[in-house]
Amino acid sequence: MSPSRIGISTAFLFFIFVIQESVVSRIHFPITGFSLYLAVLVCLIALEKGNGAVVMGFIGGLVLDLAPTSQSPFGQWALIFTMIGYLVSSNLESIGDFTAEPITFVLFISVGSALALSIYLTAGIVLGENIGSFFRALVVVFGNFLWTLLFTPFFLPIIRRAREITLTPRERM
Amino acid sequence: MAGSGSNRSRLLLVILLVSALFLITLDLRGVGITSSSRSITQTVLLPVQKAVSDIFSPVGRFMSDVKNFGKTKAEITDLKLANARLKKQAAFSADTQGQLTQLKNVLDLAGRGGYKVVSARVIGRGSASTFSQTLTLDSGSNSGIAKNMTVISENGLVGVIKDVTVNSSIVLLMSDPTFKIGVRVARSQSIGVLIGEGTGSYTLELLDPSGSLKEGDSLISIGSDNNRPYIPGVPVGVVTKVDHTTTSLTQRATVNSYSNLNDLGVVSVVLAAPTSAPNKAINPTPRPTVTVYVTPTPVAAPSSSASPLPSPSTSVKAKK
Repeated sequence: MSPSRIGISTAFLFFIFVIQESVVSRIHFPITGFSLYLAVLVCLIALEKGNGAVVMGFIGGLVLDLAPTSQSPFGQWALIFTMIGYLVSSNLESIGDFTAEPITFVLFISVGSALALSIYLTAGIVLGENIGSFFRALVVVFGNFLWTLLFTPFFLPIIRRAREITLTPRERM
Repeated sequence: MAGSGSNRSRLLLVILLVSALFLITLDLRGVGITSSSRSITQTVLLPVQKAVSDIFSPVGRFMSDVKNFGKTKAEITDLKLANARLKKQAAFSADTQGQLTQLKNVLDLAGRGGYKVVSARVIGRGSASTFSQTLTLDSGSNSGIAKNMTVISENGLVGVIKDVTVNSSIVLLMSDPTFKIGVRVARSQSIGVLIGEGTGSYTLELLDPSGSLKEGDSLISIGSDNNRPYIPGVPVGVVTKVDHTTTSLTQRATVNSYSNLNDLGVVSVVLAAPTSAPNKAINPTPRPTVTVYVTPTPVAAPSSSASPLPSPSTSVKAKK
């Protein structure tokens, strides 16, 4: 990833973060809330190749750590998404490029978001945070999975298009 | 070459993981950089949240009004437009009216309790990705709000101030799993701890296993030392179900809060508690007690052989 792309990606992720915190969080979804930011970040990580996914994961995690309402230690999301970025980049070749298949990609984003939330909860327990009842945590993860599955088809083309704009000519090739 | 690329990837991964762990360590050690970065973010987000709150609050009501508008004929387009304009105005005033009613009620409650309060609008909620149940208010340290102040609504307790910036503050809602507050049962005066469950219901644990508890009991906050973070006498909730498990060391109950945390437009932050706090009722000042001293006085024995009976002389002293 070139330094300019890192800057543009950070700005784009921060823009999505502002939408998440200001607009999406205000909507009362049944079951539990929907995290647009998590879905977009998982989508961007999957679209990156090699080290790009790891760097994108780290940056995306850091932006999410800025959430003023968060009670977890600063850096927890960065750690989780760096690991997710590495897992995606190291296994992408073996599982093949699924990003061209819309249904598989939407499923991947939904499962990825749910997985990220689950790892976040597990890390929270390890760090001694109180996450409430196990059943509630399960409902939150499942609810987020459900909403991501429903909404991703609507914003996925926009995210793809926005990412393509940020690519340098060399990266496009 | 492939080996070199792989090594570089691993090195990058290690650097980023170590950086993340370093940040976590800094935060857990209480270094100010991490917490101040969140405060700066809140300051950046505040104007956007305020704008979104101003736009979406009346528009949401307007949209629901328009839904019931029905079909209109083509020849009354002008009337339709005028009507929509009026509806929009009505939605604006309905929104203002709703917020005004909440504000009036919360000030009524604060007045009854004798609290000194500052009112604030709710402009944001905790994100789904943070798992914490919070609200963002449009007033901060400029209005006198500080960390660990009690937040109330028209019906009772809402939560406690968790973080403050100059023009905004974040409230940890009482439904958050990390939230705990000391309460007393209004009817029996038994005391216990109310714990947030992350849902609409709460768990009450009575400190006294033999304390009296039944469905419908009202719970009032006990208050903390120096009224931080909780002031005494705030209505908290009502007992909906008592757990009669005999194996438990403490009595437990399910509680519903008085405040509807999903429907808050305006809340009040308590800056100062009343001087005559209701919690004094469970810590009564000792009253003077009466102590009776009995001193036996020997009486001159009659000539008979009967043993002398003491004639008691009584002295009464008041002992505080």
